[in-house]
Amino acid sequence: MTSTDTGQRRRSSDARPVIPDLIDEATILSIVEEAWVALVGEDEVLVPLAGDLPVDILSSWVDVVGPWTGSVVLTTGRDTAEELSRALLGEAAPEVLEHEDVEDAFGEIANVVGGNVKAALPGPSGLSLPQVGNAPVVRNPADVCRVDVVWRGEPVSISVQGALPPLPVSSPTH
Amino acid sequence: MKILIADDSRVMRQIVIRTLRQAGYDDHDIVEAEDGADALAKVGSENPDLVLSDWNMPNMTGIECLQALRASGSAVPFGFVTSEGSPEMREKAANAGAMFLIAKPFNEDTFKEHLDGVIA
Repeated sequence: MTSTDTGQRRRSSDARPVIPDLIDEATILSIVEEAWVALVGEDEVLVPLAGDLPVDILSSWVDVVGPWTGSVVLTTGRDTAEELSRALLGEAAPEVLEHEDVEDAFGEIANVVGGNVKAALPGPSGLSLPQVGNAPVVRNPADVCRVDVVWRGEPVSISVQGALPPLPVSSPTH
Repeated sequence: MKILIADDSRVMRQIVIRTLRQAGYDDHDIVEAEDGADALAKVGSENPDLVLSDWNMPNMTGIECLQALRASGSAVPFGFVTSEGSPEMREKAANAGAMFLIAKPFNEDTFKEHLDGVIA
């Protein structure tokens, strides 16, 4: 039987760290829960549980550029993103939400979660402004740390994912 | 007193205003700015008693705004309300003349801790 080295294994000689070496799911979940309570509402509960995302999804994210480079991405159903935006706006929420309200509110959650993830990573590093739309693609499956939660019965995923492809696999010298 | 709140997110400006109210600072004039450049202009035109500013904003960042204010001779009390609260950023903020840095997410207790004595 042969095994294929996908380059996903981490080696001590790797110059570039991958995210599971730097942060774990429990830390990310704790950051997300704190952001949720402060931004969405004190009584809002996140259940750490994986659920099937609907077809119509929306992501918000910020990029971290530094010793580790990647994105902190929140993804949920478009309807849930709108519900989240309403929760953030509170009594200031209009009857009909504009797309820019969702971009602003959903992006701000990514900004707060991303800023705190960045603070937990080795620095110095920079943080981009939040973006909302289709999430950046995963470049290296070994450079991802993902947490799945359920909010008001709807799935939300938080993915801290590297922006760089895997390093080439070094072949043994003879 | 007059408080200038600078953040490119309208939602976050509203959350800051809401939290100020929850912390008991509900009897003050609020002026909003949507980025650092707008904040810099409004410090000149509105003459606020305190600036609460985000760090990461388009056009002009919060730290650039603070540096421009100090370079122009303004001594307006200035504090950051930002999602990035690393020790390096706190040091950078203090060196530029910021009174405090409140990291997001925050609540009314965080505001009271930093603002008691600053807001009359």
